[in-house]
Amino acid sequence: MMRVAFRLAPAAALLLTAVSAMATEVTLPPYQRLELDNGTVLLLSEKHDVPLIGVYAVLRGGAISDPEGLSGVASLFAALLEKGAGERDAAAFAEAVESVGGRLAASGGLETITISGDFLADHAELMVELLADMLRRPALDAVEMEKLRDRRMNFIRAAKDSNLNALVPIYGDAMLFGEHPYGNPVSGSETTLANIDIEHIKEYYENHIGADRLVIAVSGDFDAASISEMLARAFADWRPAATEVREVIAPEPLRGRTVLLVDKPGATQTYFRLANVGVALGYPRRAELNIANTAFGGNFSSMLNTELRMKSGLTYGVSSGFARHKKRGSFAISSFTRTDATVEAIDKALAVLAELHSTALDATTIDTARNYILGQLPTILETAPQLARLIARLEVFGLDASYINDYGPAITAASVESVAEVIAEVYPTPDNLVIVLLGDAELIRDSIAKYGPVTEISITEPYFRLPPAEGEEPADPAK
Amino acid sequence: MALFAEIRRRNVLKVALLYLVAGWLVLRIADVGVTSHGWPEWVEKFLLLVVAVGFPVALSFAWFYEITPSGLKKAVDVDQTQSIVYKTGQKLNAAVAVLLVLGLAAVIADLFLPDFEFLIPEPEQGDPPLSAKSPDEIRTHTLPNGLRIIVWPDHDIPNVVMYNFVRAGSRNEYPGITGLSHFFEHMMFNGTAKRAQGEFDREMTSAGGENNAYTSNDVTVYMDWFPRTALKVVFDLEADRFANLRIEPEVVETERGAVQSERRLRVDNNNFMRLREQVRATAFVAHPYQFPVIGWPSDIDAWTQDDLVTFYRTYYAPNNCTLVVTGDVKPVEIFKLAEEFFGQIPAQKPPAAVRTVEPEQKGPRRVLIETDAQTPLLHMAFHGGSATDPETLPITVLLNILVGGDSSRLHRILVEDEQLAIAVGGFQDEGFDPGLLYFYAVLPPDGDPDQVETRMLEELARVATENVSAAEFEKARNIILADFWRGLATIRGKASALGNFETFNGSYEKLFELPDDVRALSLDQLRDAASKVFRRANMTVGVLRAPAPVDKADD
Repeated sequence: MMRVAFRLAPAAALLLTAVSAMATEVTLPPYQRLELDNGTVLLLSEKHDVPLIGVYAVLRGGAISDPEGLSGVASLFAALLEKGAGERDAAAFAEAVESVGGRLAASGGLETITISGDFLADHAELMVELLADMLRRPALDAVEMEKLRDRRMNFIRAAKDSNLNALVPIYGDAMLFGEHPYGNPVSGSETTLANIDIEHIKEYYENHIGADRLVIAVSGDFDAASISEMLARAFADWRPAATEVREVIAPEPLRGRTVLLVDKPGATQTYFRLANVGVALGYPRRAELNIANTAFGGNFSSMLNTELRMKSGLTYGVSSGFARHKKRGSFAISSFTRTDATVEAIDKALAVLAELHSTALDATTIDTARNYILGQLPTILETAPQLARLIARLEVFGLDASYINDYGPAITAASVESVAEVIAEVYPTPDNLVIVLLGDAELIRDSIAKYGPVTEISITEPYFRLPPAEGEEPADPAK
Repeated sequence: MALFAEIRRRNVLKVALLYLVAGWLVLRIADVGVTSHGWPEWVEKFLLLVVAVGFPVALSFAWFYEITPSGLKKAVDVDQTQSIVYKTGQKLNAAVAVLLVLGLAAVIADLFLPDFEFLIPEPEQGDPPLSAKSPDEIRTHTLPNGLRIIVWPDHDIPNVVMYNFVRAGSRNEYPGITGLSHFFEHMMFNGTAKRAQGEFDREMTSAGGENNAYTSNDVTVYMDWFPRTALKVVFDLEADRFANLRIEPEVVETERGAVQSERRLRVDNNNFMRLREQVRATAFVAHPYQFPVIGWPSDIDAWTQDDLVTFYRTYYAPNNCTLVVTGDVKPVEIFKLAEEFFGQIPAQKPPAAVRTVEPEQKGPRRVLIETDAQTPLLHMAFHGGSATDPETLPITVLLNILVGGDSSRLHRILVEDEQLAIAVGGFQDEGFDPGLLYFYAVLPPDGDPDQVETRMLEELARVATENVSAAEFEKARNIILADFWRGLATIRGKASALGNFETFNGSYEKLFELPDDVRALSLDQLRDAASKVFRRANMTVGVLRAPAPVDKADD
């Protein structure tokens, strides 16, 4: 049976859809912003597709404020927030969250401390209570801290047995940023963790945690008015942090090449990373940058994947990416290959990087990357937790809605020339790279010497970077 | 002003209005025809062009010509006193009114009449119920060649997810071709009779799409995530590689390298996965669930062109697949596209059933790996059920109670209170055939695997002999319910859930019965399932640790 249906859609809208088939626009949905007198910012956005409520609370600061020689304090502090708060000890706290099917996890990043989670919509009040307890009344119990600290040292050892690929960026950033706070391993090293005691944690709490640093975003199936009232009541009379957020200077790109070889005897594959200093979070030409990187090493049909995987079968995976911090970050090419192909794979990666500089990306390549980015864009704002995370991070890093709303149009507007400019400006050339290799040193030591001066450490060493030589004072980049 | 008065007199404005209303109706009809009734897309574009080009023509016509009692004449030639433009104007008004009433009636009918097959209701407003029921907007259809299609429209974002569940996994393999299902998944990206290697991804990317695939013991799943505008491209690409894959010998060689690299990453340089591979291979002595999904290294190096061709013909048949589409689509347009692109692919003889049944295990089995390791590992596996066996759901609940989060029993005991382990976890195979129920513990460097094994067994014995508390059961139910909703928050999650339930539980509708099924379980059922599965005779224990120091007492 045939039946024609009509919908209320003016002819004009139809005309519009027909002409701009590919113009996928993503704009930040409206949300409420409330600033309490003590500086805490509340962001609220209702979304009623599933009966869940998501929270994303961020504090400015993070591992860049770890005391000298004590990398891992911020991250350990964050993890300790789950180990007892308010009237509840560690066991009772976990029970309170899980007994209603909720999730609430705290983690320390380089420049932020984050508490995120979601609960069934019925439990909004409990969620606010637990969040407030974590931040305002954490137990910071010495025994729990020691258990957690020792376990974290062992997690690093476990990763050295089972997760080599995840360790490479930690060695890589330690080498790339050196003594700059961005070079500190966020989760600490076996050496630095061993030196942390509960007083360091409590000091961190006083100095770096407080209302003036806090942004709380809530998104999901709730009534904004009642949640904002609950949150305001819970946080309005909280104290500020004792110190200002640490300002770091922007790291400078390194000149020349240096090589770190991490020895893992018996490894059948070499894991490698070619890196240099990249761009900051607020980098104004991120549209061009993301187009360039999509084409270079951002997906399966990228230049790197075509050469190292599709054509040669040297690796299962190769990618390039930018980690963008507040004051610049890293750019890295990452991959792995069988031990005897180490040099072949690295040479190929270097050649592809050289080609990126010598031959401009053509219009077809740029259109492909452009369409890909635009096509995937709507998925960044599909769920309530995604939205909460996004608006909280924009607030914390001082970015506004234009960061999202102008991105699609900027992707559409990027040209062959503007992309080429950004490549020349941002991508390191093959002769300016910090190279980290993790593999069986005995089998590759000699052949990789051609890439530059090699420093070698064993994977069993309890640190990610050689300690500074005797008598050599590390420079404080904050000065 | 005189010109404007003349424009009005000659009914140009009324003609314009009539034209716009009629044009709108025509385009609406075309839109509905294209999106719901499978008219080719060019119809809409063509009509749009005709309507747009016709507009100035119609206006000019209205300006230059006039209808007179003696027929059509040029307006300038008409004697003004004889003009009947006023009457013509009335007719035009009437026509506009009739068309508007028609349009309005259709809109009202759309809003208020009960839904017909082609009309998909918008999701209801308000809170979804905590006890779920299968949403009415999900539609299914099976093509004559056996391809089953499930569509769940969700217009939240202008994107679409398409998953193709192919019923081919490592359970369909035998010694010599272990890992072939997974390798085949890789080959599906490597060119067809129509498209060179790399084209699949380039075209998908150009259309704004992203894709991936995975292989398990039971199935190979191809996943596409793309904007609505790419629907046709994606159907074309998927059907092409499904029907016309080219298995080029040189490409096979290159791909062996990529898969060996994947194996080194995931297994050989990963103590955890090395042990898991050995435990699985020890727990099963007959059933093909003993094979690692990625395959044994010697097989990766050795399978032949014939193996690949036979595998393709056998398993990549429309009657061996389920296509799931979620997102910004209408079911009828998907059925139409499926018919257009997959309809001509012939059905094949159904693949041979996996006949082997794993014989009952009659005593504990052990496997030890001695290797460089700072942190020893203990794994413990029991034979459990298939996705539909009665013990599977109770075991899911027990897994939550035992290892689901920091408040779970094994985490509290082993990690927090006694600090014998730095992490514990567990999972359950939920496949076509009875699989494994799996626990693992990562130990601190000086940890004692025997001690962990003893404590773990004590706790497993406890749930097999004593009922868990009502509060623990309630907690597990809440976790499962919350996870159920988390899984349905994205169109990806929806596609994955529908496809898995359709494939493994017999019907996608079973997905929505899950919260009630869990609620209906009793404490005794949990205990019975535990006592059936957690038996020493049914257990395989794996230990990975550094070699013991050599005993030098005799020197």
